[in-house]
Amino acid sequence: MSLRRGALWVLVGLILTAGAVVARPGASYAHQDREATLAGSSMQHPAGTDDFGRDRLIRVSAALLISLTGSIVGAALTTAAAAGVGTLAAFGPKVVGWSTMLVCDAFLALPWMFLLMMVRSALPFTMSPAHSAAITFLVLAALGWPACARAVYRGAVAQRTSGWMLHARATGLHRTQMIRYLLPNLLSLLLPQFLVSIPAFVIAEANLGALGLGISEPLPSWGGMLFELNNSAMLLETRWVFFPLALLVVVLLALEGTAAEA
Amino acid sequence: MSMRVSRLTLLAFAALLLPMARTAAAQAASRLPGELVWTIGYDPKTFDPAKVDDQESETVRYLTAGVLLRFNRLTQQVEPELAQNWTVSPDGRTLRFTLRPGLEFSDGSSLSARDVVWSLRRVLLPATQAPVADEFLTPARVSVEAVNDRTVVVHLPQRVIGIGKVFDEIAIEPAGRPSEGRVTSGPFFVNDYLRSQYVRLRRNPHFFRKDATGRALPYASGIRLDILENTEQEIRLFLRGDYDLIDSLPPDYFALLAKRSPGSARDLGPSLNTEQMWFNQSPASPLPGWEKAWFRSHAFRVAVSQAIHRDDLARIAYDGHATPAYSFTSPANTVWYDRALTAPHTDVAAAQAALAAAGFRRQGSVLLGPDGHPVRFSILTNTGNAARSKMATLIQQDLAALGMQVTVVTLDFPALIDRLMNTQNYEACLLGLENVDPDPNAMMNLWLSSSPNHQWDPSEKTPATPWEAEIDRLMHLQASTGSDAIRRKAVNRVQQIVANEQPFIYLVYPNLLVAASPRLEGVRPAVLEPHLTWNADSLQLRGAQ
Repeated sequence: MSLRRGALWVLVGLILTAGAVVARPGASYAHQDREATLAGSSMQHPAGTDDFGRDRLIRVSAALLISLTGSIVGAALTTAAAAGVGTLAAFGPKVVGWSTMLVCDAFLALPWMFLLMMVRSALPFTMSPAHSAAITFLVLAALGWPACARAVYRGAVAQRTSGWMLHARATGLHRTQMIRYLLPNLLSLLLPQFLVSIPAFVIAEANLGALGLGISEPLPSWGGMLFELNNSAMLLETRWVFFPLALLVVVLLALEGTAAEA
Repeated sequence: MSMRVSRLTLLAFAALLLPMARTAAAQAASRLPGELVWTIGYDPKTFDPAKVDDQESETVRYLTAGVLLRFNRLTQQVEPELAQNWTVSPDGRTLRFTLRPGLEFSDGSSLSARDVVWSLRRVLLPATQAPVADEFLTPARVSVEAVNDRTVVVHLPQRVIGIGKVFDEIAIEPAGRPSEGRVTSGPFFVNDYLRSQYVRLRRNPHFFRKDATGRALPYASGIRLDILENTEQEIRLFLRGDYDLIDSLPPDYFALLAKRSPGSARDLGPSLNTEQMWFNQSPASPLPGWEKAWFRSHAFRVAVSQAIHRDDLARIAYDGHATPAYSFTSPANTVWYDRALTAPHTDVAAAQAALAAAGFRRQGSVLLGPDGHPVRFSILTNTGNAARSKMATLIQQDLAALGMQVTVVTLDFPALIDRLMNTQNYEACLLGLENVDPDPNAMMNLWLSSSPNHQWDPSEKTPATPWEAEIDRLMHLQASTGSDAIRRKAVNRVQQIVANEQPFIYLVYPNLLVAASPRLEGVRPAVLEPHLTWNADSLQLRGAQ
């Protein structure tokens, strides 16, 4: 329990700090200070600048907020979709349940990275960076639900044959009424699914970005910043290029820690 | 010179750098005594010297083929090679070559006029499909004859500008025995080839050339060309001493190399190549009408050009290893560079004023076109070229000062070329042009409005504008006249029209960056390709006698 609480505090601390950095007056993640490219730590740029002279601390903070917001919204959507599909499959006619799970399996078998790349490259070029961010997480959510739906389906099937359910049916409760009692019972299943999805989406976005398919410039993203690490020449310039990577690891650990034991 | 020269850097090294693409590959094979080793980016498509159409096949041909005339990459002059001397008749239609005495092929058989005639005819024959044949303009009507054992006469139906250089690309092979580079009259011959591993060349012991002291060339016992497209790995192996040179070094690695191996990396100043951006002006493109109108607007193009800070592009995207560009001929092109050229330079205030005069207006931070649509477009460039992506991001901010909302899109080369050449579905594009030949005649296929490589509006049926018609006329003029003064005047005028109209917005000339091992002797870098290996026969490792 204490580990979980600690992780949560780290997370809250990071979010508040990042929020403060981004909200500071005059802070711009896109401003190019062309006279100070790849600078080291200074009063003006505590974490130095990137190769365009953009403040690294502001960019990392913005990336953290964008990535967490997107992942949380995405995870909520995925979990909601999975809850809907899972319960429907469990309580609907057998054919529906069977075919839904087949669809889920087929979905899981898809080469999703390839699919993401296709979806991403089919989008219009002039899409604004904000739209690209929204779409990236929506696509992740749209592809993330089947695994979760399978788990929900299993849980819901177990509930269907449980004692309280038999009891409720015997007392003449209608199906729609039973949903009200079912959801609290599934919560212990949905919450971990939700929490586990968040770090998965964070890392998926980082992967996509590192392939150049995620959130588009000048909006900062984990993937875009990790892309810098591809070039060994860059690593010699300043140690601060590792800063986004280090922070991403901390965020992921905190997220996993929060999800643990849930 | 049309085919091989001046084309978009289709898959030139830079495009193939995607570091994730391949990690394994050549763990360098062991080096034979006296052997030189460097890399090529991909498997040569052919070893038949007559069929060469890609850069790496050309690399092998250059090192192996014996040619009548050599275009000296350092002096930029045509010099006799297998020919002892050559003459051109005053009307430019009869060429007479006299061979050196006692020439031999790498297998020891003798080389006579018969072999020369056979090799030239093979290249001219339509069935061979030799790309170099096009450079004779009407290859079917060229005749080749041997006058005696050492003299060959070539008759052309019309004068061809720069005909000497054409013979630099024609390998003389044993008559009736084409061998795909196994038997050559050049400094090296192909010994073995392991697909996607290496091409190994051996020294031709019968090569005619000797150094000043009378020692037979080439010095090196052979050359191994490792096939490797991963720059990271290439540099690692170079630093370890496995590779002797890097003929084309990406700018972001220059500092690393300068630090790790002092003296090996060299910046030779601006190359002949250009990086440019252009707007899609094709009427056939699926873009909305108002965008086409912007892109065809002279004021719009000039304003964009004026808003771009080229110094920043050179300094930030190329780490200082580039030179701001305003024209298609670079200062490295000593013969054709025009110092008197006037072109729009950086002037954001003038750009804003010109846009306002052309009916564009500001609404807050957003620029609206005369039609009321916000000016928003994407710049397309290829993946895997860090400098280009960086330039696009810098331009994004430069154009934001005018209120233009620019997005940067990177696509892999096949998808990019499909959009440029087939669907025309793009707004602006940022790419480079590799100029192998300094003569502007080589850029015919770029400037003629009817050409499919006339990028801003390919394959026009008739010139779309008076200035494009004028460029057509001037390019035809320079290609047909025998007078150098008229040629120069025509080419300077083309440069000035391009600078005025900005169909291509030139950004920078990337500097020529090379690296050579401190152990490598005889290095004399040239602006022309192959920069470090044009004198491969005189290169050797210190102490590898």
